[in-house]
Amino acid sequence: MTEKPSSYANPDALVSTEWVQAHLSDPEVRIIESNEDILLYDTGHIAGAVHIDWRADLQDDLVRDYISPESFAEVCARNGIGPDTTCVFYGDKSNWWACYALWTFRLFGHTQVKVMNGGRDKWVAEGRELTREKPQVSPVEYPVPEYRHDEEIRAFYADTLLQSSNGEPLVDVRSPGEFSGEITHMPEYPQEGVLRGGHVPGAQSIPWKMAVEEDGTFKSFNDLMALYNGDGDIKENDDVIVYCRIGERSSHTWFVMTYLLGYNKVRNYDGSWTEWGNMVRAPIERG
Amino acid sequence: MSPYPAALQEIVDLFEFLPEQEKRENLIAYADQAPRQEPRDGETFNLEDVRKDEECTDTVGVYLAVDPGNRGVRFRITLGPQVQTLTRAMTSILCQGLNGSTPEAVLSVPQDFVPKIVGGELVRQRSQTVYYVLTRMKSACKVWINRERAEGRQPDS
Repeated sequence: MTEKPSSYANPDALVSTEWVQAHLSDPEVRIIESNEDILLYDTGHIAGAVHIDWRADLQDDLVRDYISPESFAEVCARNGIGPDTTCVFYGDKSNWWACYALWTFRLFGHTQVKVMNGGRDKWVAEGRELTREKPQVSPVEYPVPEYRHDEEIRAFYADTLLQSSNGEPLVDVRSPGEFSGEITHMPEYPQEGVLRGGHVPGAQSIPWKMAVEEDGTFKSFNDLMALYNGDGDIKENDDVIVYCRIGERSSHTWFVMTYLLGYNKVRNYDGSWTEWGNMVRAPIERG
Repeated sequence: MSPYPAALQEIVDLFEFLPEQEKRENLIAYADQAPRQEPRDGETFNLEDVRKDEECTDTVGVYLAVDPGNRGVRFRITLGPQVQTLTRAMTSILCQGLNGSTPEAVLSVPQDFVPKIVGGELVRQRSQTVYYVLTRMKSACKVWINRERAEGRQPDS
């Protein structure tokens, strides 16, 4: 049985479907759907929810990087998100992309962020209403963030290499087959262009899926702590880097460790295996 | 001359120059029609291929019947609940666009119609399974042709 969210380190970061239902008309709240299935929002979404596309809205179209602070301000403004708006993220795939979008919002310093526990599947399973009507959003002012907080919550290749060399905690959240190098793509997904299989030397395998129940809701604080602090032996003040293939599953783990467990310094290596597994001379371990 | 069967060419023509939003709306409409492509009571097939591959998020069933007279194909497709919306849309499009073609014509359909229908913005790494259903349909046709040859039922060349 799942514990009450109040036992998490930052209980306000996780809201229930009931909470979202009760705040559908709250002018201080913007509900944001972010999915892997790029047409899913168009087939029906929570009334009033806007759609943030993880690639088209958040990633630079040319360089493998995130958008500029100016573009982020534009994305927020056109979606009716002000600097003080509480953004509640939800989506498919147990909230992978919701957590990815939330993490990206945090890159730009937007701190009023929450995740709807269980994501879109839970909302649908409970028979709650979806609509195809897109909300009429009045654009608002969003000041251009001064900078992107890359250094605080994002890791790059060089950071990860240093982490590996120093024997600091690295968490590989991919499936066991991807970690061992047996496969170079997620089960049930096409090959996404990785030349080598395996993992970053010294990384430990804690698949993202171990953090959720069957219905996609997060496991209890105690269960999660047993997973990362117990089995994983990662301490609250450790400098931790998490990675997967392109950074979405590791965003999920980043959210768990940062918000639900209260780890102080977790960085998401968004280049992840599609960078590491292709990088010339990057060290790799198998098995 | 078009490399696509006429019915598929018509759908390509419909989509190719649509603005992005209208493309999306039409794709959703096709996705909504995907359940109509499932086998119906009383239908029989020459080949049934239901499986869950690593390349797709859920089970896809391909049912193929070939008319012994004109060798026109009739496809029926079942999709598991986790299959993505774009793949559902492509399933409807392919069933409507390929039914009536010969197995050989299906095998020779190039994949380049997909971006014409879907548009560059929606074709991305995590949506490559739009190509998967066509691959499965071609695979069914290939098996059927091989059986036809093995049984000495080759069409007149």
